Amino acid sequence: MIKRILHYFRLYFYQAWFSYRSLFSWSTPFTYLTSKIGFPFFSMLFFVFMGKFVGFSDPMFIVVGNILMMPVTNGLYGLSMTIGNERQFGAMSYLLGSPAPRAPLFTGRAFFHILDGFITIVVALPIAMLLFKIDFSGINFMLLICCLALLAITTTGLGFIMGTISLLSRDGWMLTTTLGQLLYILIGVNIPIDKLPPTLQTISAYLPMTRGMQATRLALFGAGWENVAGLLLGELLVAVVYIIVGYTLFMYVERASMSTGSLDSI
Amino acid sequence: MPTSSSISAIEAVSLEKTYNTRQGFWKRSTHTTEAVRGISFWVNQGELFGILGPNGAGKTTTVKMLSTLLIPTSGKIHIFGQDIIAHTNEIRKRIGFTFGGARGLYGRLTAEENLRYFAELYALPPKTTRKRIDELLELVNLLERKNDKVETFSSGMQQRLHIARALLHDPEIIFLDEPTVGIDPVGARELRAMVKNLKEHGKTILLTTHYMAEADELCDRIAIINKGKIVALDSPANLKNQMTDDHRVELIVSSEHLLLVKNALSQLGSKEKITYADHAFHTSIIIQTPRLGTVIELLSPLLNNGLIQNLDVRNQTMEDVYVTIIQNEEK
Amino acid sequence: MINHFFRLGFVQMGVQLRMRVLNLWSLVLFFTQPAIFSTVGILLSRAAGNANPDLIYTVLGAGIMGMWSGLVFTSTYDIRADRATATLELIVGSPTPLRRVVGFRSLMNILAGSSSMIAASAVAVLLFNYSFVGINVLGAVISFLLLLIGLWCMGVFLANLFAWSRLSGTFVDLLEMPIALLCGFMFPISVLPLWMQKISAVFPIRWGLEGLRDSLQGGMIDSALTTKWLISLGISLVFYLLSRWFDNKVHDHIRVTGELNSI
Repeated sequence: MIKRILHYFRLYFYQAWFSYRSLFSWSTPFTYLTSKIGFPFFSMLFFVFMGKFVGFSDPMFIVVGNILMMPVTNGLYGLSMTIGNERQFGAMSYLLGSPAPRAPLFTGRAFFHILDGFITIVVALPIAMLLFKIDFSGINFMLLICCLALLAITTTGLGFIMGTISLLSRDGWMLTTTLGQLLYILIGVNIPIDKLPPTLQTISAYLPMTRGMQATRLALFGAGWENVAGLLLGELLVAVVYIIVGYTLFMYVERASMSTGSLDSI
Repeated sequence: MPTSSSISAIEAVSLEKTYNTRQGFWKRSTHTTEAVRGISFWVNQGELFGILGPNGAGKTTTVKMLSTLLIPTSGKIHIFGQDIIAHTNEIRKRIGFTFGGARGLYGRLTAEENLRYFAELYALPPKTTRKRIDELLELVNLLERKNDKVETFSSGMQQRLHIARALLHDPEIIFLDEPTVGIDPVGARELRAMVKNLKEHGKTILLTTHYMAEADELCDRIAIINKGKIVALDSPANLKNQMTDDHRVELIVSSEHLLLVKNALSQLGSKEKITYADHAFHTSIIIQTPRLGTVIELLSPLLNNGLIQNLDVRNQTMEDVYVTIIQNEEK
Repeated sequence: MINHFFRLGFVQMGVQLRMRVLNLWSLVLFFTQPAIFSTVGILLSRAAGNANPDLIYTVLGAGIMGMWSGLVFTSTYDIRADRATATLELIVGSPTPLRRVVGFRSLMNILAGSSSMIAASAVAVLLFNYSFVGINVLGAVISFLLLLIGLWCMGVFLANLFAWSRLSGTFVDLLEMPIALLCGFMFPISVLPLWMQKISAVFPIRWGLEGLRDSLQGGMIDSALTTKWLISLGISLVFYLLSRWFDNKVHDHIRVTGELNSI
């Protein structure tokens, strides 16, 4: 039993670390930071100025939302890109041909991307504070850490679903990119949920990260546990559902991909 | 050496190629790799020249320098008397090249479309292109698959398509870097026949290969490269003669009879070189000898009494020569 | 020679269309991403209390976004894909200069990206009742052509940059959004801080885009508009000349470093 747990642990962290390094290594700190910070930061600035032009009165909402999206998008795309890259390099057959349990094998691959994303937050937050003069002095650190950890769990679940799409088709990551971009609209990154049209609000309620985002925002500005308990509970429930769905779908598709031969790119 | 009245097809003088790579994330260090360390050779027009060497010896780097894809760190290359740096574009019109492996084609395009694409890069007129494509696809046995997407081809078929691509513009020099890698024996034999045919049509061919028999069969001269340097250069026959006139006698002896055979072989003198390789149930014995008759005379009774399971006599092969040279270099 | 030039263009653009343009990734770049940006703009506008968003920026601007994203990613993907499939060394090893191949590919990418603009216009008209009545047609056509020229010149320049090294692709993320931001794809330049406005002046896209917007808003062909055209054309020429100069350097550099393929 202990051996199995240790094996799972090694798969989740150790093996996933090698996968992360082999597929996503950056040659210098400069290229790492430009890659990690570059797109999200400029994307954030783009939305801020777009908001300014149309008269949206709360640019800080956009800034905070985009910063919180950094670990989220990392985790989402990380898992689907990992699977895509494993296929491209021809390693997918060897992974799926091994007896290694799938859950730690693939969810571990999301872990380092999410961790990566949290490192990005650590760099991006102070920059944002300086640039936009945001006051985060009231941060509830413990609550913030819990919220971010919960976001990470939720991201894994959705990432699993997106990774499954990548397993289905070698062009699947394009669909995952689209889904990921839709999150910018639907989970309260750039636009408050209550300002969305009713239909989109309904969709948003069933999406992971919606409640987690709200809770994290409140934590950043000093809210207490009592203010966010309901949101966290709701987020946890949604996360569990997505993880179960994602895992089940993944296992099903894995078997199907063995019939269709879509395991490798070539 | 080429005479002053003749221009070599290829002339390489003191070629060197060094790669510098930077390693480390926080603290960067430069790592230098000397892939080619001063090689010189020439290839006559119409000659089929082979380059052999272990993995990482510098064969592909050399071929890439000769085919204008790499600039040497130092040294000179002349193709038909023209400097490769000063006349890169003119030289490209006169050479063709292919590298081993299935990469280098557009999988989503058909065989014909791939060839049309590359034909245009060589500015071939459309009429010539159409004719050449059909001729070459026939030559490489792919005419029936002309309209099939390359991604449906096996690696051997893709390799044959590469050969067709390299010949599109009817180059005078052809660089073939491991052309038979991944090809089945029948396909490889056909390819070798094709290469011979090209030579008979006056093409100058530079071939790299790991298959010694192929080099032995095809090449007029062979250069053996090891660790970036040429360690031997001559015709296959001269290379074999330089090594030794020895014959090789190969025996398979079962474990129970080994001692008896060894005792018999101990009668042989220092002129023979004997090596033993033990396996689970038998031992392979190789006797290198200039006195074949003496050895056969000694072994005949053992063979008649059934003490030797198998006996094989052959001359030195190119592989023997190659392995001996490389092993000597390693020492 | 001239025949070969046009034949090469025909073949290159044909292959580019089949290999790179007609696939799902292009669908995302040319249509989906601009649609999402446009939706964010419209929803932000409504969240700010504007029921009628400025379509020239919010919707048509998203079309420009699609053109630019398409150009950046297809141009980089071309070189990366060629490296990975070992076709880059076959192209470089041919007598045809790489810049010519890249030039035709960028042209195809730009033309394909125009579909983004067409789709955005269709959405503006059909969904939001935008009307092209009253626009300065000639001004809009010239501005759009100059915009295409500016995009093409930048595309060719970028392709050379990506051919320089295997690692160049890591800088792609730094290109898409900063240019979209600095050139005001979906908002006027005046919204940006002054120092950013000054930086944006070096990009031909900014000037072509301003000319296009002025014309779409009914502006006449006056000295202000023609000045923008001349600036756009001039800077495009500078980018083109830079890419010609850079092309030889790239050709030599990649043959020294041996980075013509991925391995």
